[in-house]
Amino acid sequence: MDMEQKLQAATDIVKEWTISTNNPEANRVDAVIAPENVKKAVAALLDAPWGYLSAITGVDHPEYSTDEAGVKHVIPDKGTLELLYHFSGGAVVFTLRLTLPYDHAVVDTICDIDMAAQLYEREAAELFGIDFAGAPSKEHLVLPEDWPAGVYPLRKAFTGLKQS
Amino acid sequence: MTSPIEGVMDKVKTWARVNSPWAIHFNSGSCNGCDIEILATLTPRYDVERFGIKLQGSPRHADVLICTGPVTLQARDRLVRIYEQMPEPKFVVAVGSCGISGGVFQGCYGVVGDIGDVIPVNVYVPGCPPRPEAIIYGVVQLLKSLQS
Amino acid sequence: MGSEKKPEKFVVSIGPQHPALKEPGHFEFGVEGEIVTSATARLGFVHRGMEKGTESRTWVQNLYLMERVCGICSHVHAMAYAQGVEKLAHVEVPPRARAIRELIAELERIHSHLLWLGVAAHEGGFDTLFMLSWRDRETVMDLLESITGNRVNYSANVLGGVKIDIDEAKISAIHKGMDFLEERTRHYMKVVTEDETFLGRTRNIGSMSLDLALRLGAVGPTARASGVTYDVRVDSPYAAYADFPIKVVTDTAGDLEARFVVRIKELYESFRVIRELIDHMPASELTTRIPRRMPEGEVVSRVEAPRGELFYYLKSNGSDMPERIKVRTPSLCNWGSVLSTAVGHKLADMPMILAGIDPCFSCNDRMVLVNQDNNLSTWSWEDLRQYGIEYYK
Repeated sequence: MDMEQKLQAATDIVKEWTISTNNPEANRVDAVIAPENVKKAVAALLDAPWGYLSAITGVDHPEYSTDEAGVKHVIPDKGTLELLYHFSGGAVVFTLRLTLPYDHAVVDTICDIDMAAQLYEREAAELFGIDFAGAPSKEHLVLPEDWPAGVYPLRKAFTGLKQS
Repeated sequence: MTSPIEGVMDKVKTWARVNSPWAIHFNSGSCNGCDIEILATLTPRYDVERFGIKLQGSPRHADVLICTGPVTLQARDRLVRIYEQMPEPKFVVAVGSCGISGGVFQGCYGVVGDIGDVIPVNVYVPGCPPRPEAIIYGVVQLLKSLQS
Repeated sequence: MGSEKKPEKFVVSIGPQHPALKEPGHFEFGVEGEIVTSATARLGFVHRGMEKGTESRTWVQNLYLMERVCGICSHVHAMAYAQGVEKLAHVEVPPRARAIRELIAELERIHSHLLWLGVAAHEGGFDTLFMLSWRDRETVMDLLESITGNRVNYSANVLGGVKIDIDEAKISAIHKGMDFLEERTRHYMKVVTEDETFLGRTRNIGSMSLDLALRLGAVGPTARASGVTYDVRVDSPYAAYADFPIKVVTDTAGDLEARFVVRIKELYESFRVIRELIDHMPASELTTRIPRRMPEGEVVSRVEAPRGELFYYLKSNGSDMPERIKVRTPSLCNWGSVLSTAVGHKLADMPMILAGIDPCFSCNDRMVLVNQDNNLSTWSWEDLRQYGIEYYK
């Protein structure tokens, strides 16, 4: 199966939940879905079966303000988080994208469908402050136990821990 | 003023310590580059055991703490704990650029600083990573300084 | 905790204290008698915040940072990053540079697999094999040093190509090294498949079925030992793998022995492809120009590290610094396979099962035995290793 067919197959599998698709590279297709459909879409891909979950990437999209000097500043508490579920199948990568607002950064866990997702989800939960509803473990994975609550290091607003 | 017998005992202790230092290795956040080179010093090509240097499992048996990497938030307490568990007199060798200055990891939020920020260091071995010969040389320098 | 059914609970803190360990973890094993009943992981002892760190460094500076994600597979990290950046910049790397990248990657695989062979043997109480394989590993370390100038963090890559070249003298040195290593590897193959005492520690231990390997998302030799045919070098050829292909090595047994066999067979493949590479090295420039500011966009870069698929996601906002870099290392995928294959096995098998995926650890890591009254008693990793060795005596 060549790359186009493989990508088309993935696109067809998640068609009913897809809001829009994008083809950023020859071997990649991104499909934007609504957060509430993530479980169904992931399950459909894994049941097909179409490839495997390679990674879950979090991306922060804060809102910026520009001061008189033209320097951009992050506005804290305003913006969105994006989650990217990368599925690899042979040479191609199919990505499910979903956007979560800061004030309601909750998405269903997919651990019950794909055990491999647990570590990826815990990483995203810690570093971006995304709440994976129903996740089997919400303990710290990579950050120290005494890490302050509500501080998410990979958000753009984070510039370093305050020296205490 | 030490008594003659104490003086002799000190000499014997130093002689023993210099001839057979036991080391413990701790990675406080390194990329493993230095760690595999430290392990390489134990293997047939370099074989530090012929000098009486032995890599030891427990800090309670060790004279020398060989430390690699910048110190991460999570490793800091463990590093201090291991250092405190070692019996006196104890010596620290920091291996690699990260142990000296934080190296490429300077400024990362998980990094507290270099090893010298957390525990006192006797010898620094520069390099990214230092060659096994350099690590052995660093330990030898430490032993020489003990002798004098 | 809290339930009466748990007479004892082991907490293995495989902390940041082992030379061959990349992603130190902390494991909790629940045991009933000798049998492990549950396992969970805790990572982050060397969490340095590198992904955030990349956002305040330039694209070029990040190459040197990414190379130090892991000292054992430094080249594949730098290569994955460089390939991603080159895709962002729409730059084509010259063929000779691609071939040299593959050459270094395969040499690195040899060093990594021999390292693993030694450490895994050490966990099984077979120190002779540990010393022998590390002695032979020095051959490939010498080659890497003579080619790149450094034994560990080779820094062979630059954005847009490589900064090292090979000449006739190096080619003949590599040939000699490969011949020697191939002969030694045949010997190791005999040892891991015929030595009775060693087989007692590896055969039918830590078995993972094909179905389970797929479900757990295992990658690399760990997955291939269970029959999974993923190999990025074949699935999605990068560097010069399209011109100098490798064959996927798989096994069906799925146990520890199969993981040894698969890695050793991969060594044969590496020797073969390295000989082909140096005999048919294409002639061209080594680098191509690359802009300092990367055009806006996002790319995914995948390479096959010695331990499995390495996944990079790079996002550029058009400036000279990345917007976001995500690194997913192969060992992260394989923790899942450890945690589920551990259940039902003897505690004495844990060192070998943990070592089987190749984030190996030993020596100084401590193990805490928690009994019902929450009295802590500490077991060092060395104790556990000794326990395993004694158990099988």
